[in-house]
This record gives sequence, C-alpha cells and structure tokens, in this order.
Amino acid sequence: MGTVTALKASPTAAPFEAYQPGGFYCELLGAPDNLNQNLAALWSHLQQLEIGDLVARSKDAERELFTLGITFTVYSDRNAIDRILPFDVLPRVLTAADWRVIDGGVKQRVRALNLFLWDVYHDQHILKDGTLPAELILRNANFRPEMMGYDPPRGAYVHIAGTDIIRDGAGVFYVLEDNARTPSGVSYVVENRHLMQRAFPDLMRGFAIESVSEYGSQLAAKLSEVAPAGVLDPQVVLLSPGVFNSAYFEHVFLAREIGIPLVEGRDLTVENDRVFMKTVSGPKPVHVIYRRLNDDFLDPEIFNPESALGVPGLMRAVRKGHVTLANAVGTGVADDKAVYAYLPRIIKYYLDQDPILPNVKTYICREPDDLRYVLDNLDKLVVKPVGESGGYGICVGPKATKAEIDIIREAVKRDPANYIGQPMIDLSVCPTLTDDGVEPRHVDLRPFAVTGEDTWLLPGGLTRVALKKGSIVVNSSQGGGTKDTWVLREDGPLKEEGA
Amino acid sequence: MSSLLSRHAECAFWMARYFERAESVARVMEVHTSFQRGRGPADTAWAWLVTLYSDEAEFAKAYGQPTAENVIQFYVTNLDNPSSIQSSIRSARENARALRPLIPTDMWFQVNDFYNRLLAFTPSDFTEMKLSRTCDAIKRGCYAQLGVAEATLYRDEIWPFFRLGLFIERADQMSRLLDVKFAQLATGARRDPASFDFSFWATLLRSASAYHAFRRIHPSGVEPEDVAKFLLFDVRTPRSVSHCVGEIKSMILLLEESFTLANAHRAHEQVDAILSGLVRAAGDPALLETLHAFNDWVQMSLISLANELGYVFFGYQKPAAQIQASA
Repeated sequence: MGTVTALKASPTAAPFEAYQPGGFYCELLGAPDNLNQNLAALWSHLQQLEIGDLVARSKDAERELFTLGITFTVYSDRNAIDRILPFDVLPRVLTAADWRVIDGGVKQRVRALNLFLWDVYHDQHILKDGTLPAELILRNANFRPEMMGYDPPRGAYVHIAGTDIIRDGAGVFYVLEDNARTPSGVSYVVENRHLMQRAFPDLMRGFAIESVSEYGSQLAAKLSEVAPAGVLDPQVVLLSPGVFNSAYFEHVFLAREIGIPLVEGRDLTVENDRVFMKTVSGPKPVHVIYRRLNDDFLDPEIFNPESALGVPGLMRAVRKGHVTLANAVGTGVADDKAVYAYLPRIIKYYLDQDPILPNVKTYICREPDDLRYVLDNLDKLVVKPVGESGGYGICVGPKATKAEIDIIREAVKRDPANYIGQPMIDLSVCPTLTDDGVEPRHVDLRPFAVTGEDTWLLPGGLTRVALKKGSIVVNSSQGGGTKDTWVLREDGPLKEEGA
Repeated sequence: MSSLLSRHAECAFWMARYFERAESVARVMEVHTSFQRGRGPADTAWAWLVTLYSDEAEFAKAYGQPTAENVIQFYVTNLDNPSSIQSSIRSARENARALRPLIPTDMWFQVNDFYNRLLAFTPSDFTEMKLSRTCDAIKRGCYAQLGVAEATLYRDEIWPFFRLGLFIERADQMSRLLDVKFAQLATGARRDPASFDFSFWATLLRSASAYHAFRRIHPSGVEPEDVAKFLLFDVRTPRSVSHCVGEIKSMILLLEESFTLANAHRAHEQVDAILSGLVRAAGDPALLETLHAFNDWVQMSLISLANELGYVFFGYQKPAAQIQASA
C-alpha cells in the first residue's frame, strides 16, 4: 500500500506523515499500488509546511472571502445569512496527461449534446429510428415544444456546460452528470486561484500551472459568436434572478469579468419581438442573453405565468431570431439523469465515436429489468431522483441505515421513472486540512466548457470536496467545500523552478 | 448611448443617500452627546432630535415620551425606523450589493467590512456613556465609504448619480438641522434666553463640522444670523446648502454635457431655480424672520428634484395628477 513516507524526502517528522489515503485513489499520490512519481516534488514541498501556520492562514483566507462577499446566501424568515463556500488550501492537481483526457472527453460530449438537441428539436431521427425511447424525450418535463424548428446560431444549444467527473480507485475518470442548463461554480475556480495567489504564494511558488484567468474573455468571445445573424457589435447581458438568488455572487463575478450589464427581468422589455434594456438614456437593444434563470421563469407568456423574474414576450423574440439565449431553452432534455444513461449511444449515433470519458454504469428504473435489479440491490447502489439537483434525495446504499433504505424503496416503487441507480464508485480522495490534521477527503471535478463556433475548456475546473469524513456527497448544500485545481503545464515530473 | 441600467443609477443614488444619512445622524448625535451635557434636563435635550427628523408621530407611537435611552435606540439600532443608522447602513449595503457588478471591489469590501463591524456592536456601545465614541466610529466608517468611492469609482454615468444622492441628502440634512435649531430659538428664547448662548450655536456649528471654519471668518462672537448664513450660503463650507446645490448643478451638467442625457433639462431648470432662491435669500435683510418658510421651500425643492430624477432616469411613474399637469 502506498504511503506518503515512500515519497517523503525529509527524514524528520512532517505534517503529512500520518496521511493515509485508505485504499482510495489519491489525487496527489496516485493509485495505492502505483504511486504518481510526477508529483513527488509537490509532496516534498508540502512536507516543509507548518500545519499550525496553514490553519491560521486558511482562517484568515476564509475571513477575507467573507468580507469580499464571495458568498452564497441562505435565506431564513427574516434574515439573509451570507456563507462562504469553505475553501481547502491543499490543491488538487491534474497532470497534463489527465487534462488531455478530460479536455477531449468533455468537448466530445458537448458536441454530441448539441447535435442531439438539434435533432430533438428538428427531425427527431434518433427517436424515429428507435435508438432512444421517444417518450423519454417527448414526455420529459424539460422538453420544450416551443423550441421545435428553431435554429440557434451556430447550432449551439449548450453554450456553457459543467460536466461532473469523478475518478475511481484505479484512477479512471467517469462522467457522473452533465449540467447543460445553468451550471454554476465557475466563479469559485477563479476566486480560489486568486485567493491561493494572495494567501498561499509559498504553496504555488515555482510550479508551472495553467492559468484560469482567461475564462471571462473566452466566454465573452463565445457569447458574441452566437449573436443573431447580422449583428456586428452585439449587446450581451447577463440575466440574473437578482440579489436574493443564492448564486448572485457568481452572476456579479461573471458580469464583471465579461464587462456586461447584470440585468434582472424587470430591466428588460420586449417590443415588436425585440428585447431592450431600460437605461438612463432610454431603451437599448439587447442581442445575447446569458441567462442564469431556469426555463420555467424566463417568459411568463409561455412558461410559468406566475414568474415575476422573467420577461414577457422573450420567447417571441427568440423564435424570431432577434435575441439568442445562452443556454438555449430546452437543454434540460439532454442533461436529465435518465437521458444520461443513453449518452454513450448518443455519442456513437452522432459522432460515430466511442466516448473518451465513460459513463458510470446506470440502471434506469423506468425499465423493468433495471428496476428489479435496483430494488434487489438498494444496499449496494447509489439511488438518485432524476429530476433533483444539489445532492437532494440521494440514497447512498452502502452507507444508509435500514430505515433510509426502506424510505428509498417506497419512493422508487411509487415512481420508478423518477429514479436511477448506480454502483457506488470509490471516489478519489485528496489530502485536506481538517481539525484532525491532514486527512483524505473525497473529491469530484466540474470542468467548465464554453461553446460558440467551437468549444473551449477552462483548464482545471471546480474541485468540490466532501468535508465530512467518509462522505461522498460534495454539494455545498450538503457540507461540501472547494479546492484550487491545478493543471500542470508540462508532462513528466513536476519541477519546482528555482528551488 | 449609455448602458447604465435605470435600476443601477437609482441604486447609486440611494447608496450615497443612505451613507450620508447615517453619517449625518451619527455626527449630530455625537456632537449632541458631547457638547450638550450639563445643560439642563437630559430628556428634553433628546426630544429635539425627534423633531429634527420630523418623526414625532412615529416616535410617540413606538415609545411615548422621549428619553435618552429610547431616542438613541430609535435612531441608532431600531431596524423598523428606516432612518436609523443601522437601517441606513443596511440599505446602503443592499444597494451596493445590487451595484456589485459596477462598483470596485475596494468599495464593496469597505461596505461589507463596515457593515460587519456595525453588527458587532453590542447594546453597551449604545449607552450614553459610549455613544459618542460609537457614533464617531460610524461617522468615520461613512467618511471612509465616500473616500473609497472618490478614489476608486469609475467616472462613468454612475458617478453623477452617486454624487446627486450624496448632495441632495446633505443639503436636506443641513436645512433640517438649521430649521430645528432656529425653531428652538424662536420658541425658547423668551422663556430661557440663557440657554441660547455661545455654546448653543457652537454646538450647531460643530454638528455641521463647521465650527473652526466659522471662527476663521468670524473670529469673535456667534451671531445667530451669521451662523444661519454660514451654513446656508457659504459655498466653501462643504455642508452648506449652497455648496451642495452647486455640486448638484455640476453633476446635472455632467449628465447633460459629457453623457449627453438630454432628458436632464427639467432637472437643470429646477436646480437653477434653487440656486436663484439661495442667492435671493442670501441678500434678504429679514432672513431670520422668514427662515422657516425658506427652509421648507429648500426641502420641498430638493424632494421635487429627486422625483424628477426618478421620473426621467430611474423609471418612476409620475402620479396621475402630475402627468395631467405636465401634458
């Protein structure tokens, strides 16, 4: 079994001495039986750090995040409580080779998703020839008939994608989930790096790491590329539900990075099927809307009539081609947890390729055989409702109590089509600063891809870490934190320059 | 063509107003607690503050008779009073949050830091014993806010709206303070002339951070008329009404000329009318007799100007009667 001692340069006791990944793949050490020698320089560097000092500085850093307002907001009856997303100072590192796999795999997936969505909202070949069960799409709550026949500029439906990726005990990456609606978290990637550079320069010193600062300019370029035909200098805006939204900080961050107005529904009007924003000099035309508002709330004329957050008439302007929404309406049929199971087939169908990033084996409870298997193996499977996000309603069989298993059994029986089951993956771990010293904690990865004419990935992505010992649920609503994610620029052993 | 959202312009306007209001309340309270001690029954000394902000009815409903304790509570920590210091700072922060995409990080950092410090105050910080020090800290927090705006805010259209809010609020506060103090003189002078001595007027000047400047212009004595004229018309006094209205005018010119917002013309006419009114009043030998009416007119004019900015820039709906009148 691999231990830190095997890679340790210093002969004296060091802070990471007691660290044991416990049989899981460790993002810094490698597989238990195949240590990652390339990261040895980072290890020996970490060994020189003083834990007490790291803890003190990380408390300072969290205070700074709070004062900077890099927070999400939890609302109770009367009070708005600002919380920071806990930040762990020990980075998660991806080698250049790791990154090539992820970069290629995500681009392939996004391409397939966009081709799939075009087909679904046009001729529906994939449904007509029976490759996908038609009712899975056409009866899906996220299928939007209003989008039938609409041609989004450059065929892009999913302009911003966040793909949730995990790594198993052997170090193999799997896609756990596609987020093709309004994925969030990218602001933390950039802010975490800034924090790291400010507060922990000694941790990063000398290592050649890919920059994350290009995200804003790439996003701006891609959003301009999908402007309606003939608009040369498009006005792009970011549409937010407003200050009460828990992701408001991220909306602010993005609007600032791209230098575009951060608007709310009430700032926009539609006249003659064109969208305008209300400025101090009167109505000003808007051409591209990066919306961080779900489909349901976008246009009370078409969707939820109760929505006060949206813009009446917006969909008319979209269908006339006068404004582009990013992401397009109706992408929810592509990132549905049930459709996910078919993604390898979808990739094969449109690209005639095998997936670069495999799916986790998924049992679809709408199918009788799979349902039987899931009900027989509830104690071994992770069972998830297909329509939920944020880690809600998940039952982790091997860690669940008998009572929890009984509850999920009833839920699955009541509405099988709402559930999928997956084998529990031994999520990889990363050394994490805890109250008990440096300990392994499970992590996942959400890289962000932006698409206009083509697709670009922000190197790295959001590493979420389950701070609770043993937990594999990384969502912030369930006690998750984040880490800075380093993508190494070069192959081969990590070298500490000038050290 | 401007890309500044009406909503953001309004937020900048109100953010500045709320900071200025908090600062003003803090300064008046600080000066008051420090310089009014030993001048008769403490409770009546606090009652005038309620008059200053025209809150008599609200206050009576919430507390009944004013005492040092409940007046302090009402104006410092009471979140149901929209003009209390804590309410103002909270509102300023909410506006800043909405403006977060446009204001520099330094400015947002300052707001948050200030707000968090304000939340950390305990009831003991607001007892008469410590009030002066606490108000001083609040005042400084507000000054820091204006300073960081001056040093870091990008000078696009948001700047004039920020400054308009600041100076409309400041002019309004100055006019109210003078009005209340001269009303005290009018009603109390015959009954108790001794209390309107040097110290009374010095306190008023200190409430406007103008005592030493006044001394330089008027080295001896304190004549009520000199005080009134200094605080109303001395354009070199940063809190005088004339100074503030002059700044308002230059911000409206900025909107019209640099940012070519032609719809500012009515606001332009209004501010010109206030300036002429100030010039006329400065030359009025009977100013003190008509001071209350004049201050009323100043305050009404400022309200009307703020409304006009609301109609043309912030998207406020005009009341039906006004639409008819202007049609």
